[in-house]
Amino acid sequence: MITAGIDIGSITAKAALIKDNKLLATQVIPTGYDHLGAAIRVFEAVLRKAGINKKDISAIVSTGYGRASVTFADKAMTEIVCHGTGAHFLNPEIRGIIDVGGQDSKAILLSQDGKIQDFAMNDKCAAGTGRFLEVMARAMDVKLEQLGDFGFLSNTPSKISSICTVFAESEVISMIAKQEKREDIIAGIHDSAASRVAILARKINIKEPVVMTGGVAKNTGMVEALKKHIKCDLIVGDLPQETGAIGAAVLASKL
Amino acid sequence: MKEINIFHDAINDGKALASKIKKTDKKIIGYLCSYAPEELIYAAGFHPMRLFSSKSDIILAENHLQSYCCSLVRGVLEDSLSGRLDYLDGTVFPHTCDTIQRLSDIWRMNNRYEFFWDVILPVKLNTQSAKNYMVDVLTRFKKDLEKASGSKITDEDLNKSIQTFNRIRKNLSKIYSLQTKNPGLIKGLDLYALVKGAMIMDRDEVCSLLPKIVSRLEQMNTQKNTAKRIVISGSICDSPDIYQALEDAGGVIVGDDLCTGQRWFEGKIMEDQEPVLAIASRYSDRMVCPAKHIGPAVRGENIVSLAQKTRADGVIFMLLKFCDPHAFDYPYLKEFLDKGGVKSMLIEMDGQLSSLGQLSTRFETFTHMI
Repeated sequence: MITAGIDIGSITAKAALIKDNKLLATQVIPTGYDHLGAAIRVFEAVLRKAGINKKDISAIVSTGYGRASVTFADKAMTEIVCHGTGAHFLNPEIRGIIDVGGQDSKAILLSQDGKIQDFAMNDKCAAGTGRFLEVMARAMDVKLEQLGDFGFLSNTPSKISSICTVFAESEVISMIAKQEKREDIIAGIHDSAASRVAILARKINIKEPVVMTGGVAKNTGMVEALKKHIKCDLIVGDLPQETGAIGAAVLASKL
Repeated sequence: MKEINIFHDAINDGKALASKIKKTDKKIIGYLCSYAPEELIYAAGFHPMRLFSSKSDIILAENHLQSYCCSLVRGVLEDSLSGRLDYLDGTVFPHTCDTIQRLSDIWRMNNRYEFFWDVILPVKLNTQSAKNYMVDVLTRFKKDLEKASGSKITDEDLNKSIQTFNRIRKNLSKIYSLQTKNPGLIKGLDLYALVKGAMIMDRDEVCSLLPKIVSRLEQMNTQKNTAKRIVISGSICDSPDIYQALEDAGGVIVGDDLCTGQRWFEGKIMEDQEPVLAIASRYSDRMVCPAKHIGPAVRGENIVSLAQKTRADGVIFMLLKFCDPHAFDYPYLKEFLDKGGVKSMLIEMDGQLSSLGQLSTRFETFTHMI
C-alpha cells in the first residue's frame, strides 16, 4: 500500500510517499499564494520522482497551515500531530521535538510509543520563527542559507533585547549603523530567536533525545544557539523539513 | 430555535438593545464584573447591563491605559471615550481586579454619565466579618441607588428582583446540566449567546424565555456525541469564533469556570431571609474569582471536581492577555489538574482573534491528544 502526506507550510509545501512502512520519496517546493495549487504541484512532483501513478495512492493526509485547502486529501491533521508521527517514524527513540517552521515554532513531547503527550506553540508573534530569520537575513544583507555560517564566526554575540520581529529589526538596523560586526549581530539574532523557542521547550519539560524538525533546522547557527538555550543536545536528521509530510503519509497508512 | 435567536439578536446589536430599553424609560447602569450587585440595580428600577468591549481599534484609551492592560478594560474605555456607550446613565465598579479599579478612576475623572459608584468589596468573602461588611456595603449602595432613582427600594422590590435573578440562574444551570448530560445538545455559540444575553437583556424577558428554551431542549432527541468533552476556564470568553473553532476541531463544551459562565450564575439567593443579607450570603458562598482570596487550594480543587463532575476529557484555559489575577492562578490550577490526571492547555487571547488558523491547530492537536 502506498500513501501520501502533503504539508502546506507558510513558506514551503512538502510531500512524502510511504510504501509498506518505508519512505519512498519526498519533495519540497515554495508555497506561494495558492495553497491548493502548491499541493497539486508538490504531489505531482513527488509522484514523478518516485515513478508512481496517482491511482496507486490509497490514501492522502494533508497537514500544515494550509491543510484545509488540500481538497483532494482524505483527512487533514495538524502539523503537531504529523511532526510527532514523522519524528517517531524516522527514529522511534525520540521523546522531544523542536519544530521551527516559517510561521510557527513548537515544542512537542512524545510518549514512548510516539503519542503526543504535550505541546506548546508560539503566540501570534513571529519572534523565534523562520520568518523572523528571513526578515533578519534581509536586514543583514546576507542570504538566508548563509545566516548559520556567519553566526559561527562570532565570539561576542550582540544582545538583541526586543522580542518582536519588527522592533528587533529596527534594533538590528541601529546596530548596523553603529557598525557592529556582522557575525556578532547574526549570532545575536540566533540567540534571541533561540531563547524564544527555549521557553516553549521548558513549558512542556521536554525530554531527551530531542530532534529538531522544520525548515529552520537547516540553519546550523540556530541549531547551536538552541542547544545552548534548551541545555540539551539536538539531533538534526536528514529530512527535517519533510518530517511533517512523512508523518502525514504514515497517518494516511492507518486511515 | 426562535427563543435562542432573540438572544443572538440582542448580543449582536447592543445599540439597538439599549435604545429598546431606553424606550421603557429605564435608566441603564453598566458594569464590567460578575460581582456587581445586579439584584439591587434591578430592584431600584434601573437596567443592569454588563459591558463588553466592541473590539474596536484602541485610539483614545491609549492615552489612559498602557498596552499591558487587558483588552476588556482597554476596549470598554475606548467605547466610552468614543461615545459608543452614550446610552449609559451610570456605571458601578465592584472592587475586584486592579485594572478594573484603575479604570474606575479614569472613568470617574472623565465623568461622562450621570451616576458613578464604586462598590468596595472585601478581599476575602467567606468569613463572618466579611459578610457583615458586605451587608454594610450593599446597604450603602442600596441607599445610593435610592437617591439616584428618587424612590425607596422596598423589601418587596428586592424580593421580586431576587426571585427573577434566581430563576435566570436556575434555568441557565439547567441548560448547562442538560449540555453536560447530552453534549452537543446546544451549540457552544448558542450557549455563549444565552449567557451573554442574560447579562444585557431585559431580565423579565430573559426570565420568561429561558424556561421555554429549557423545555424545548428537554424534548429534543439526543444523539450520541463522540466529540471530546471540554471544560473552559478563565475570566471572560467573548470571542464567538472560539466556540465554532473548538467544535470544528472535534471538541464540545460540557461546562465552564468563567466570569461569563457558571461562576456568574451558580448559587441561589435564599428567598426566606432578610434580602440584603441574603444577597451578601451568595457572595460568600459562591466560587471566587482569582481577584479574591479563599485559601490556597479551593480553586484548584474546584476545577478538578468540575472536570470530574462533567466527565471532561480536558480543560482549556482561555485567559485574556495581561490578566494577572488569572495568570497568577494558572500554574497552581494546572498543577491540580496534572495531579488529578486531567489534561489541560493554555490559550492566551487578545480582544481580537486575528490568528484563527493557529488556534485551530492547537484545538485540533489538543482534542487529538486527550
